[in-house]
Amino acid sequence: MVEYKSPSTRLDAAFSAMADPTRRAILARLALADACVTEIAGDFPVSLNAVSKHIKMLERAELVRRTVQGRDHILSLNAGPMAEASEWIEYYRQFWEDRLASLEAFVTTQRNSAKKGNRT
Amino acid sequence: MTAVVSIHTVTVKRKIVAPAQQIFDAWLNPTALAEWMRPGNATHATVTVDAREGGAFEIVMHRASGPVRHTGIYQTIDAPRRLAFTWNSPHAGQHDSLVTVEFHPDGKATEVVITHERLPEAAQPGHTAGWTVLLELLEKTVNADSHAT
Repeated sequence: MVEYKSPSTRLDAAFSAMADPTRRAILARLALADACVTEIAGDFPVSLNAVSKHIKMLERAELVRRTVQGRDHILSLNAGPMAEASEWIEYYRQFWEDRLASLEAFVTTQRNSAKKGNRT
Repeated sequence: MTAVVSIHTVTVKRKIVAPAQQIFDAWLNPTALAEWMRPGNATHATVTVDAREGGAFEIVMHRASGPVRHTGIYQTIDAPRRLAFTWNSPHAGQHDSLVTVEFHPDGKATEVVITHERLPEAAQPGHTAGWTVLLELLEKTVNADSHAT
């Protein structure tokens, strides 16, 4: 059975998976090229068991896909959820930059009218 | 103005020529908020503010396509230095996030730094998963009690 995940749930999973530096490093490694689990484990100074756990979290967040080829488990990057996460970030970066510009305009107008008020 | 983007945090800064107190007040005064906390595509905004720690706010941005409701709870009100509130909006997937605003005086100006971060699921107050676990624990406790007697 395919588990239904709402966009928000998927985004939550993507954000918590990306909150860890080792998992981000695994994603960065997979961004270069697909790799098997043992190759990834060799790149990091942690146990194979620990790397497996990190990979499972990335798979649950749908950031990483696993394909089995004979005895090898090949991992590849799935950029979909990451794009959703960066869309969130981009939306709010723009939103707050616009709000700060508008806050500045508001405060400046307030100060100018206060100065005029003082003169009269 | 600079913007720093990390994996799940947005930081935006702007230096505004005004005292920190005046800028800080614009965040908690509903009339002021309705003026500037309004994107260009909104005709007007309606704002309610309960300006105390633990108090709620609501900002409704009215757009041609319909109203968009933003809500949150003030976590820290430390005038005129720091303001922190939770932020929930349809764009955030009705997921609580945390906005922290810092006001750093710099001569006649004030640098305003906004940090908006998504909270990990576990950190969300009143999150469904958290409540389910709590209710299960409560049920276990009650059952254990009734078995003991």
